[in-house]
Amino acid sequence: MILEPLLPSILSVRRIPNADPALLRAYGADPEKHTSLGLLTCDQDDPVYVALDEATKHASVDVVFAKSFWAGAGSASGPLSGEVLGVIAASDPAEIDEGLAAMIRCLEHDACFYGANDDGSIAVFPHVISSLGHYLSAEAGLPVGSAMAYLVAPPMEATIGLDAALKAADVTAAKVFTPPTETNFAAAWLTGSLPDCEAAAVAYAEAVVAVGREPRQL
Amino acid sequence: MSLSNTRTLMAELRQRMGEDDPMPSRREPQRIPDPPVRVYPKPRRPSRFAKEAAAHTTALVGIGRVGTRYATSVVLQFQAELAVAHSAVATVLPDEWAAENGLLSLNSRVEDHRQFLLRPDLGRRLDEDSLSRLREQATKGVDIQPILADGLSAVACMGSGVALLEHLTAECEQRGWTVGTPMCARFARVWLEDEIGQEVGAKVAVILLGERPGLGTGDGLSAYMVYKPEVGKTDSDRNMISNIHQRGIPPPEAAHRLALMAGAMLEQVTSGVTLDLGPLTTELGDAAGTGLREPQVREPLVFVGEEGEGR
Amino acid sequence: MRSTIRGVGYSFDTVKEVLAKANPPKSGDDLAGVSASSAVERTAARAVLADMTLRHLRNNPVVPYEQDELTRLVEDTLDEQAFKAVGHLTVGQFREWLLESSTTGAMIRSISLGLTPEIVAATAKLMSNMDLLVAGAKCRVIVRANNTFGLPGRLSSRVQPNHPTDDVQGIMHSAREGLAYGCGDAVLGVNPSTDTPESTAEILRELHDLRVRNGIPTQHCVLSHVIVQMKALSELKCPMDLMFQSFAGSEKANAAFGINVSLMDEAYAMMRELGSASGPNCMYFETGQGSALSSDAHHGADQVTMEARCYGFARRYKPFLVNTVVGFIGPEYLEDGPQITRAALEDHFMGKLMGLPMGCDACFTYHSSMSQDELESLKVLLGAAGCSYLMSMPVGDDIMLNYQSTSYHDIPSVRMLLGKRPTPEFDAWLSSVGIMDGAVPGPRFGDVTVLR
Repeated sequence: MILEPLLPSILSVRRIPNADPALLRAYGADPEKHTSLGLLTCDQDDPVYVALDEATKHASVDVVFAKSFWAGAGSASGPLSGEVLGVIAASDPAEIDEGLAAMIRCLEHDACFYGANDDGSIAVFPHVISSLGHYLSAEAGLPVGSAMAYLVAPPMEATIGLDAALKAADVTAAKVFTPPTETNFAAAWLTGSLPDCEAAAVAYAEAVVAVGREPRQL
Repeated sequence: MSLSNTRTLMAELRQRMGEDDPMPSRREPQRIPDPPVRVYPKPRRPSRFAKEAAAHTTALVGIGRVGTRYATSVVLQFQAELAVAHSAVATVLPDEWAAENGLLSLNSRVEDHRQFLLRPDLGRRLDEDSLSRLREQATKGVDIQPILADGLSAVACMGSGVALLEHLTAECEQRGWTVGTPMCARFARVWLEDEIGQEVGAKVAVILLGERPGLGTGDGLSAYMVYKPEVGKTDSDRNMISNIHQRGIPPPEAAHRLALMAGAMLEQVTSGVTLDLGPLTTELGDAAGTGLREPQVREPLVFVGEEGEGR
Repeated sequence: MRSTIRGVGYSFDTVKEVLAKANPPKSGDDLAGVSASSAVERTAARAVLADMTLRHLRNNPVVPYEQDELTRLVEDTLDEQAFKAVGHLTVGQFREWLLESSTTGAMIRSISLGLTPEIVAATAKLMSNMDLLVAGAKCRVIVRANNTFGLPGRLSSRVQPNHPTDDVQGIMHSAREGLAYGCGDAVLGVNPSTDTPESTAEILRELHDLRVRNGIPTQHCVLSHVIVQMKALSELKCPMDLMFQSFAGSEKANAAFGINVSLMDEAYAMMRELGSASGPNCMYFETGQGSALSSDAHHGADQVTMEARCYGFARRYKPFLVNTVVGFIGPEYLEDGPQITRAALEDHFMGKLMGLPMGCDACFTYHSSMSQDELESLKVLLGAAGCSYLMSMPVGDDIMLNYQSTSYHDIPSVRMLLGKRPTPEFDAWLSSVGIMDGAVPGPRFGDVTVLR
């Protein structure tokens, strides 16, 4: 079965209502502005980045820390580590709760990798965001509210997929992440109108599946 | 905020690529309420239409709207205008006010303020005590008998009432007429001047009383004048000047006009619809018969903070 | 006529006395000296009234046939067949029939021309406010001039852009503002300060031009005395969609207004010939509790019954609008919010029951004990009762007549609260110019620049 959703597992969610200023500073928050932190780990990194962006749309929170761990979930430092830690900060713990709720909803119901071959050993992330929040828009250098295709796959598949995506629709590359990355995937952020982003994501996923089916074409 | 379309896109692609099994359906997500979005007040631009309309009418037009309702400033101005009108009506002339101002104090047959509003008939006649006081103390056989009264606004009576009475007395004396004892009637309706005038044997009676307040106004006086006053006279026997207050017809001007009107009555020995005020049109303005009344000028009543003067 | 409450007997000499004492408290009835002395006596009178047949009420009008042309008019033109259908019922039974779920508006309409004012007034006296709402909402009276008025689900309004000195520019500014809020589908109607044919004609022409220039499907009217309007119409040849007159409930009271049946017949005939509206209904009447007493022409009857008698007069002329002006005349007739509210619901019910397209000027003067909040609530009640139209003016403040009524902003508010729309023709016009977008405010809502 191809393109089966590979649902991310949330491994831990915690909040710190009144964080120590030193901790705040260490994780990129501003003690003048933030008092509370929300933290979440998960076994898939890119869905978390999407979820963090989602949080900024639902609550008055800033994404202060978001990092993937070396070599991904397979090499995790512990059962709660997964492959990513995302941290949001706010002036008020209630905002943190709203933000975390939005993240959990996104991870449980929306953003996920898909299996690109029958056993799911090739994973593809062809996610389309219809309207960027202020986290990813800043990361991608795009205006808040833009549509964006967030595309991730293993190095070979990602490269062939990106070419297909760019040719399939009127989209431009906001950022391309060539391998190796922390998790050894490759990624690209494409922008354009929402239908164009969708067409690009579909072409990307289709190409990734095709590469998996026929890795050697010569 | 809805979920992204990615799952649907992948389901369609999967079907197109030959996968027959349906995509596992997703769990129904719990609703996340819309995020609270910071609210910014709308800037209010003064309306050109309002400015243009103000040259022609005091009606509150061009005031804009919030949804289908009024802006807050409009509500406050309106409520202030209403409050001014209501409190003018509700104010009762104090018992001792007439005496303190050197006026003969009279009372109609009305006993309290509510009865005053509900029983106009009682406001048209003097009570027993007042009648005997009038008979004992007032000068008889005068040319003109002015009567100050509360009417529907004691506020107006206490405001420019005494000034109007004094100016009118001076205007009349200047013309060589005998002017009746200065007096003030409480809980009085217009027709009370008939009984008073009849008792003192005046040729002309004029009652100066607070008029029914309009929005934002409560200090206007009206004057109703009748020739050969006696119980039984009706509205068609009277002439009147309304809108007497600082923003309307100021008391000295009103007194002058009233004296002209009284002069016409003494000369033509009649009043009301049969009185010819034609020759006095220029001096009398509206009272000469057009019946038109210039609109009240609306003034902003509500100020917050430093601009307002404490009371 | 006797009834007993807790062993205490009450007796009444005449039908008129029963009618008066059965009336809910009104300061005007106290002023006239006809009201019940206590709530118990009032109830005793109602018990007698509930047991009285409609035929008995018809036979005992509050002003005798020989003394009053309105009594004669009603009696001589009553629809006998319609009367026969209900004449045998007691007032109590008639009230119950009106309130039965199976009794439809069409059934009520079929007997309404057989009802005399006394019957209708008696019925109102046995009804609570909620009864008046429920029964009033059933009655449908649909009429036509330039648009179709009184349809179910509709709430219309008069734009009342009065000006203390008849400044035509001032009137037009206010009228345009009202139209921009979706008001004015009943009539653009001005009470003039100057009651002359020339000024009536001048205002009529301006209103007509405004209407035609903007293609607005409504009517226009200047509310001067009917004789003045007849002169403006026949001699000055101005366009006049509706002709107006105030009515009172007895011949003597109408004489104080300077009118009688033959004058109104003449006015109606002239209007049918020369009026400018396209539909068959071309008259506009205003009434209001207390007007008969104010000219001492109430014949010892209560003000609700006298009000119903106005409707008996009005229906002769198949009017396009009838408006009860409730609360304008002052606290000596309707003292406070509850009395004004009650009178508005009574008048609406009675008029509709008699087959008239009833609207209501729900209002107060500044010496009544009514608050702005009570007045706003009353407008919602009237909308719920199916009242055909309300007045409208800037902030509800009439700068000429100095009283407080419905505002331009209130009309769309009540419509949206109750899911009501203006007349269909006007509704379409509002959407075509962007003032409304169907049931909700459109992009040009409140924007006077829509009006040329």
